[in-house]
Amino acid sequence: MVETDSQLVARAQSGDQQAFAELVRRHKAQVFRLAVSILGREFIPEAEDVTQEVFLKVHNAIASFRGEAEFSSWIYRITFNQAVNLKARVRFRSPHADETVLYDTATPEPGPDRRAEAAQRNQALADCMGTLPEVYQSALRLYYWLGCDVGEVAELLGVPENTAKSYLHRARQILHGMLKQKGYSCD
Amino acid sequence: MTEMEPYEAGIDRLLRRSMDAPAPTLSSDFEERLMRKVGQESAGLDRYGRMVLTGYGLASIVVSGVVMRAQGLGWGTIAVTILGPLALVAAAPWVRRLGQMQ
Repeated sequence: MVETDSQLVARAQSGDQQAFAELVRRHKAQVFRLAVSILGREFIPEAEDVTQEVFLKVHNAIASFRGEAEFSSWIYRITFNQAVNLKARVRFRSPHADETVLYDTATPEPGPDRRAEAAQRNQALADCMGTLPEVYQSALRLYYWLGCDVGEVAELLGVPENTAKSYLHRARQILHGMLKQKGYSCD
Repeated sequence: MTEMEPYEAGIDRLLRRSMDAPAPTLSSDFEERLMRKVGQESAGLDRYGRMVLTGYGLASIVVSGVVMRAQGLGWGTIAVTILGPLALVAAAPWVRRLGQMQ
């Protein structure tokens, strides 16, 4: 029979390292996804460091976990805070992070003019994205890059599904307005 | 898929196209490295605890010795007062084993 997170947490609290390892196995991919979604594409190694830090924190603090919230919600909240703090430090060191001019590698535009135009638009999009609130940026990356559905976005960000939907809607609305203001068409 | 207003379709397409890249994954040895680090941290805490306890013990012995000397006790009495309980604690497991043998 598969043990629930609560059962594994109870075993880990009494010092069972196997139970802790199982919790890591269950949640590591989602923790990493959330960290990547906050830090962006240019900080993938840092996202792995954040994932490790999160699990070390969880290991040290698991005795104090009372189970009032889901274990997953607790760990995602720690991840969010850890990644946002790291991002603030990184941004302080290098304020012009570039989102690697987005990820448009799959379908290069035909012709040098179109390619240059697409590159400029991608740069503008990356710049605009960088000005959005953290939760909007994270929701966009989870949804468009990391392939999460709205339910997963909501779970990882610790909000109801309707709120996640409104984050995505609002983020698209703001980006549309910003690009239009800069003279780029979204079509 | 979220419900979209017509003007959003364009930006939705642009985002899909711009962010079309493989999702990254954790290194294959992530779990192994993490569990090694967890083990090291736990051992580190034990070592730290032992160091604190040893420091506390030594400081107590010195302070007790100084206080007793200030009260006019001789070094012999001080040594017996400090080392006597230590000898008793050290002898306790040996005495217990002896009792179990009988």
